[in-house]
Amino acid sequence: MKLINKAFLSLALTSSLLVSSCDSLLQVDPRQSIDANGALTTPDAVNAALNSVYAKLRSTRNYGRDLFAMADALADVGVTTSNSGRLIGENNNQPGAHFQAGFWQNSYFAINEANLILAAISGVEGASAAQIARWEGEAKFLRGLYYFDLVKVYSYMPTALYQPGVIDQGGIPLVTEGIITSGPALSRQSPRATIDEVYAQIYKDFEDAKRLLGAGRGVQYGSGAAASALLSRAALYRGDWAKVVSESGLALASSVGTVLSGSAYVNGWRAPVNPESMFEVRFALAEESIGVNESLQSSYTALLNLTNKNSQGGWGDFIPNATVRGYFGIAALQIGTPATDNNNWDVTRNTDVRALLYTTGNTVRGAGRQIECTKFMSKSGFAYADNVPVIRKSEMHLNRAEANYHLKNESAALTELNAFKSLRGLPAVTLAGNALLEEILLERFKEFAFEGQRFFDLKRYGRGIVKTTPVVNLAFDDFKILPPIPQREVDGNPNLKQNKGY
Amino acid sequence: MRKILLLGLTLFLVNAMAFAQGRVVTGTVSSLEDGLGVPGATVLVKGTTIGTATDIDGKYSINVPAGSNVLVFTFVGLTSQEVNIGNRSTINVALEADITALSEVIVTGYGTQPKREVTGAVSSVKGDAIQNLPLQSFDRALQGRAAGVQVRSSNGLPGGAVNIRIRGVGSVNAGNEPLFIVDGVQLNNQSNAAFTQSNPLAFLNPNDIESMEILKDAASAAIYGSQAANGVVIITTKKGKQGKAKFEFNAFSGETQPMKYLDILGGAEWYAMRRNAFINSGVANPEANALSNMGRLPSNWPTLTRPALDALGLALPTYDWQREVMGAGKLQNYEMSVSGGDDKTTFFLSGSYNYQQASFKPVDFERGTVRIALTHQATKRLSFETNINLSTFQQNVPFAVEGSFLGSPAFSASAVLPHNAIYNEDGTYNTAIAGVLGQNVVLVNDYNSGLQRTNTAVGNLITNYKIAKNLSFRSLFGLDYRLLQGDNYRDPRTPDGAGVVGRSSVQSDWRTRFITTQTLNWNKTFNGVHNVSGILGVEYLSETREGISGAGIGFPTFQFRTIQSAATPESITGFWTGYRRASAFGSANYDYKKKYLLTVTARYDGSSRFGANNQYGLFPSVRVGWSLVEEEFLKNSSTISEMKFRASYGLTGNDQIGNFDARGLYGGGGNYSGSAGIVPSSLANLDLGWETNNTTNLGLDFGFFENRITGSVDAFDRRTKRLLLSQPILWINGFGGISNNVGELQNRGLEFELSTVNIDKGGFRWNTSFNITKIDNQILSLYSGLKFLPANPGIAVGQPVGRSGEGSIFSAQYAGVNPATGRPMWLDIAGNITYLPLAADRRYVGSSLANVFGGFNNNFSYKGFELTSFFTYEYGGLVSDGQYGFLRENGTRLTLNALREVNDRSWKTPGQITDIPRNLTTNAGNELRGNSRNSGTAALLKSDFLRLSQLTVAYSFKPSLVSRIGLTRARIYAQGVNLWTYTDYPGYDPEFTGAGTGQVPLTKSYTLGVQIGF
Repeated sequence: MKLINKAFLSLALTSSLLVSSCDSLLQVDPRQSIDANGALTTPDAVNAALNSVYAKLRSTRNYGRDLFAMADALADVGVTTSNSGRLIGENNNQPGAHFQAGFWQNSYFAINEANLILAAISGVEGASAAQIARWEGEAKFLRGLYYFDLVKVYSYMPTALYQPGVIDQGGIPLVTEGIITSGPALSRQSPRATIDEVYAQIYKDFEDAKRLLGAGRGVQYGSGAAASALLSRAALYRGDWAKVVSESGLALASSVGTVLSGSAYVNGWRAPVNPESMFEVRFALAEESIGVNESLQSSYTALLNLTNKNSQGGWGDFIPNATVRGYFGIAALQIGTPATDNNNWDVTRNTDVRALLYTTGNTVRGAGRQIECTKFMSKSGFAYADNVPVIRKSEMHLNRAEANYHLKNESAALTELNAFKSLRGLPAVTLAGNALLEEILLERFKEFAFEGQRFFDLKRYGRGIVKTTPVVNLAFDDFKILPPIPQREVDGNPNLKQNKGY
Repeated sequence: MRKILLLGLTLFLVNAMAFAQGRVVTGTVSSLEDGLGVPGATVLVKGTTIGTATDIDGKYSINVPAGSNVLVFTFVGLTSQEVNIGNRSTINVALEADITALSEVIVTGYGTQPKREVTGAVSSVKGDAIQNLPLQSFDRALQGRAAGVQVRSSNGLPGGAVNIRIRGVGSVNAGNEPLFIVDGVQLNNQSNAAFTQSNPLAFLNPNDIESMEILKDAASAAIYGSQAANGVVIITTKKGKQGKAKFEFNAFSGETQPMKYLDILGGAEWYAMRRNAFINSGVANPEANALSNMGRLPSNWPTLTRPALDALGLALPTYDWQREVMGAGKLQNYEMSVSGGDDKTTFFLSGSYNYQQASFKPVDFERGTVRIALTHQATKRLSFETNINLSTFQQNVPFAVEGSFLGSPAFSASAVLPHNAIYNEDGTYNTAIAGVLGQNVVLVNDYNSGLQRTNTAVGNLITNYKIAKNLSFRSLFGLDYRLLQGDNYRDPRTPDGAGVVGRSSVQSDWRTRFITTQTLNWNKTFNGVHNVSGILGVEYLSETREGISGAGIGFPTFQFRTIQSAATPESITGFWTGYRRASAFGSANYDYKKKYLLTVTARYDGSSRFGANNQYGLFPSVRVGWSLVEEEFLKNSSTISEMKFRASYGLTGNDQIGNFDARGLYGGGGNYSGSAGIVPSSLANLDLGWETNNTTNLGLDFGFFENRITGSVDAFDRRTKRLLLSQPILWINGFGGISNNVGELQNRGLEFELSTVNIDKGGFRWNTSFNITKIDNQILSLYSGLKFLPANPGIAVGQPVGRSGEGSIFSAQYAGVNPATGRPMWLDIAGNITYLPLAADRRYVGSSLANVFGGFNNNFSYKGFELTSFFTYEYGGLVSDGQYGFLRENGTRLTLNALREVNDRSWKTPGQITDIPRNLTTNAGNELRGNSRNSGTAALLKSDFLRLSQLTVAYSFKPSLVSRIGLTRARIYAQGVNLWTYTDYPGYDPEFTGAGTGQVPLTKSYTLGVQIGF
């Protein structure tokens, strides 16, 4: 009995002890996160935070796929195969089949992170001046790139604003203050800045990056030269021709990236890091692979690799159309027997070395051994992952040629174009006037097919999209040239104008 | 409890009997209902203390002293009977069932109460009602059993998720799941299975359940405070009873079968449809194009004529993929229990094994359980109790639980082009599958493998100490421990495994929840009329969850299937999270002569989940009742046997949010170029607090004709205030949303329950019970005067929030096809026809929440025979079914198969009025630049159904018969589940939650079973 009383007493005591110190008992702290307050006060934390801004470029909605494959599907580069059913709506330019809400979301999240870093770097304990300069330079480089990508997608180009039937709703919201507390997060309702204001901001960010960053720490990170290269493209889109010429010159003169020719150019596409790259998005780990469904490789080819065409690979959803095949003299060619073996097939080619970036696919999953682009072939060393060249050095020649044409320096333009053509194994041409411009744009089409540039090149000249399949063209004044701004952003922000037609 | 007391009394009487002298009367006490002997019934000589108890067959023998001539036969649950002995020496009696159901005892928060005195809205489901149903978790078995409780299986995965809503949907972003309590242990019923759905509640063998009580109104549930907003389900498991050891063996086995196969096109039919689509699209060579889509275009086709190509297409064969991957599955269950005890100790031990295959191979469920319940009366004051439930279940996993995955049989079986052979002539798998579903799903599901295992221990240790006559102390320590393990292998011979040369993924997730509850119980009666009782308690709960998972790729051959053989580790990750809650609570009951009843409760809760400024909350409630039958004017009524008005008001809270939702955090993530990244993951909200439910309940319990008709009516108004809403933040500001307390939501409803004894004559008995609930759900207000939530316009003032808080359906109204051209049309906001509806043309058309639902049960019994039929029904839901949506495209977007009824309805000739557009191909040009044919409300479906959920035929053998082979009881039965559904639903089944794409539909099953007692 006594024992039982003791047991009861100790039980009662234990429970009252348990309950007596409620406040400390309610204390639980996360172990896989840190408090946002003062998170960015050490150099390591800022480095890590900057990594995340880079990493967001890998998203399928950004350079993981859409800025390349979907942009080309919207344009006149290829046809869809229905192998997995992807990109069909985009290729048909159906309403709503365009850049998705996730592109906007991911890009603005990255911009906010860059803004938070820019606000925090002056308070980092023990940071050197060089570190601070690098952080600021890279954060601005990235912010400029995200803004550039956003404005080219959601807005008309400065060079093609005033077409009849086209209604300019402006640029995109410009936010340069980072948000980490709920007050401003709930209250800031930025309107669309004008297109000009957006390009001015992009210039400013790239100029700062150019000033702060030197040769950089590898092409997977921002560098002064890459900032010049991107400035060259931004100026091209803005019609700021003199700027194109000067920035292209700076980029070409830099030590970052190499302009390749002949077979070296083709081999560049087979290397993990394309030597042509001035800035590329790095896919370093197997878990970063976009995978069999939506990676660039899988979107473009059913091949797993080039050594054995019978290996089962991705989908090959989007392949070159007759126009592109025609540029390179491509047609399917049986090179051995039996015909059922996919390795016994290749394509015919003309002298253009870029033709080597196309070959026949396979029949493994009923794909029909179509002719496919092989620019992305798991070069990072694991399946369905390739570093994505955001800007290649060769583009500088084409940018400068085009700008010189507009600056009435036709001979400089023609010389540069012919020099470029010779790099690709093509004979020189003698052209002038509009024909010269068309030839420069054609060369650009051939060079950047399946690299997501064509849609924006057509857009900046106010041209419609001529489709081969289906044989229905999309006029430049059609509202479907622009994607809808995510409805939630419009619904929640009375200052934000939706693009017309949505 | 009563039974135990009664048995104790009986034994005492048996001892007393030895001293008596007189004549001996023998006989059998049986139950009128089933004719079986009643063991343990009391036989008492009236006016004396002399008595005995019947033996295991219901037989008794009693010495009746001279001068006594009346025997009284009593047994709990049966009506007592007095019999004049006269000159007889043998007296057999058949006792009627005591149908005064209201005398039962109901488990309420931290105690029990006679149902007569309950003043809240509490539904009770006895374990018997769901016994032997081949359902893996008891929540699924609750469907249709209680008014106000809406249960929907998420899919047909055995052990899969179940969506249970008590009195509507009370929250948008916080959880809507009720609190489940098993033997006093509050469960964590979140699932986190990586490779299938693993319902945490499936750990318990439903046959181990004694009763389930559902606390529906806030006043009843308020004693559970911050977790009770969605109602509370209290599970009481079976306990031992004093007496000699009783063995029960129970087994059933049977088969599951698909409820439905979709009627889809055959090979030649699909060809013809596609050919016509190309003709409609103005494409040259329609026959060649259609054959090319089907991968059957001969290489010499340019040399063939169009009729020759057409003949090729029309000769294409048909293979039945649905019947290849769907089919009958095995189902079996074995269990054994033994219970008994003496006057100090009782025990209940049980073990069970359950196995069920889904209608899709290789998906299954296999469970073993062990249960121990012990009680021990150490002294007059001190007693101990323990309940331990151990269980492990393992599921072979599907390719995916839902979604349009090509490898998913539930998606592909009905959608793959039907002319594709499944096997080659030599019996190997055909891997050249034409069409967008370019994989052989039979192969994929044969070669891939994976399993998910859930090990659970739920147990408690209880000490009761009687401090004084009216005061007792109860101390409970409980544990809810669960380990989820998953293993999944993508075979290198399958498309998903080929590129990476095999992928093995593994997952482990531990969750540990400790709970302790210390309560004081007190009761006293003053002047014989004022009954007062009270409970005071404290409770503390701590939970941690942690997990690791990883994947590896690159396997030497397909025979190597575990992660250690992987050449490259692909990913490794983990998590840790936890929360704590400390509470104090009390309740006080007062009644005057059982006539006027009053209960007041309050709970004070603190939780680590909420913002630093708002961690504590108070949850009070009050309930009153007026039992009219205790009033003089009704006391002698022969018609009205029960009449009680109830009214209650209470406050409950909802804390089902993330453990760290109130914090502003930077989390790991965003690694780049091989080095680690961090990313801002949430915004701080120091004021984040509980979502509160204020529920007013008015109820009436009634009983007529000695309770042959009983029932209740309840009306409630449940207001959720300070809604835990993920308040959207513009993406341009860097975040998607912030958890905040804004807005108000209302659930108003009427519940009606009725039980009747229709016939009870000559051993034939017919009982009916019926329940129906109607609920109106709507958002009353949002914030800043908003009419709808920008990120989800389905969340709108005046509109329901849907089953899972996903919002109402907000879409452009479909207007059928243009009879002249066959082009799909919608209505703009002004009601005019448009081909291109804009965002501004969307309107509210309904939600997935069915607002009328219930159940209907009939039970017939006659001399050991029993027949039970149980129907459930739902009305008023509107759903989008992804699987149907894909098939409704009629092959026009992707080369997928189509439904025959849809294809038959497609527009073919000018003037035709229909809802299915003209068949076109993706190359049809501008017409396809309109909205897609499924957009707006075009593909929405009504999810109404009436289902025969259970049909049971059983026979119990006479005890006298089976006792010859040493048994006390033998019962055999045949049972069917989901045998028949009345619905015009064109997809697999209207009962599912989620997108509906590639989900395993519910199945029907047939079982045969036997129960033996000895």
